Amino acid sequence: MTQLAYYPGCSLHGSSKEMGDTAKATAAVFGYEFAEVPDWNCCGNTAAHSINRLFADALPANEIAKIRSDMGLDRVVVPCAACFSRFMTTIYEMTEGEQNEQTRADVEKVVGRAVDTDLKVLNLVDLYHDQIGLDELKAKVTRPLEGLKVAAYYGCLLTRPPKVTLAEDPEYPTHMDEVLRALGAEPVEWDYKTDCCGASLALCEQPMVRDLIRKIVGNARERGADVISAACPLCQVNLDTRQFDIKNEDASWQQVPVAFLSQLVGTALGLPASEMGWKRHVVDVPALA
Amino acid sequence: MTAITATLAKRVNEGAETNAFKCYQCKRCSIGCPVASYGDLHPAQVMRAVQLGDIDAAAASKFIWLCTGCETCTTRCPQGIDIAAVMDELRKIAREEKMVTKDAGLASVLKLNLDSMKRWGRMSEIELVALDKLSRPSSMMADVGLGLQMFRRGKLPIIPGRGDRKKIKDMWARAEAIENERRAARRVPVVDKERGEG
Repeated sequence: MTQLAYYPGCSLHGSSKEMGDTAKATAAVFGYEFAEVPDWNCCGNTAAHSINRLFADALPANEIAKIRSDMGLDRVVVPCAACFSRFMTTIYEMTEGEQNEQTRADVEKVVGRAVDTDLKVLNLVDLYHDQIGLDELKAKVTRPLEGLKVAAYYGCLLTRPPKVTLAEDPEYPTHMDEVLRALGAEPVEWDYKTDCCGASLALCEQPMVRDLIRKIVGNARERGADVISAACPLCQVNLDTRQFDIKNEDASWQQVPVAFLSQLVGTALGLPASEMGWKRHVVDVPALA
Repeated sequence: MTAITATLAKRVNEGAETNAFKCYQCKRCSIGCPVASYGDLHPAQVMRAVQLGDIDAAAASKFIWLCTGCETCTTRCPQGIDIAAVMDELRKIAREEKMVTKDAGLASVLKLNLDSMKRWGRMSEIELVALDKLSRPSSMMADVGLGLQMFRRGKLPIIPGRGDRKKIKDMWARAEAIENERRAARRVPVVDKERGEG
């Protein structure tokens, strides 16, 4: 087994436990073992950087220091797109940002030690696309997702801003589509793959967020998708659970199930459906569960 | 009428590590913004208000509390301005200058989110939702049915996970000490209506 550091973040220990479980189970099929960062703290997400920018950088930097110096590993799987974004932003601000020297000095003072930022950070799509690789993935598929039309939903933070995420094509990314194709599924072309789900505004601006989700899910359905594939816990939870409200408002609303990419990979690899966590979803996923 | 000054833009530029003066109002940020139509101002108008030093328009706008941080504006800005970071900085200024608007639900959510992670080392989703309901009466009845659905499906664990709580408290104290010094240096003439200095 090859060890990869693993930073789950709060959601993967909470509302989106199934995302972490399936990421771990699918990676194991390819000989990767997830070594969870000991005593990890929250990445800070949206809250920290809108209140104290230095604290926001120090939170991931402290985890990075543990991974590089204590665990001695050079790559980390960060499946949550918000955590991924915070890790990448911190590395960017400490290496290439406009005030990178000052930022590094301040961050290291706050963390209390030197931070080696030479670390490869893998989001959920990177795990399959870059680390495992499409050919390897294809070779282990035992239950191809034939005939399944999937809308690959990237949301915001996997790709934006590209100077931070290093995404190749932030306006119309295709890596998740390629992974889905390797599983035997049929990714659909659609218009909202990088539109915002509303993120944490779902807690306070519900009507606005429902509008955003109606547009995203409605377009996926119009484009023929049977299921939406998500690679971010907040995207998945918003798209899945907010359809409950939309359906309550409008009985004619046709729901579209929202799976994590890792659940689709697990299904195609022939892992038991009972271990995919489908029962935790609000919108049923009949074709796969 | 607020006098035209450069002081607000200078403060924003320093905090956000960007240059708001480079905005020439092409409005690409506003066109791509998923929530522009829900606020009072759209992003390009917020940028203009910053350039003119109109803190009343910029920091008290509803829009800064609707911004989801999706980074579309920052990605597409032809001038390379980190517009999303400008919105973040305006939120900080709104807090410091006591200009947070009453209807800014996100201000409360973000604060409770930070408190939760400082308390446990990790964010407790159920604690965040519960405290938000108590702090904002308007949110009391929202999402009750959905919350029950999620709870039944095991999506809202009751017991918070714990991180390295001591470390997070130490880091917060050190980061606040450094940031407070910077804030004090930046703060002085943010808005000076009488003299219009800047």
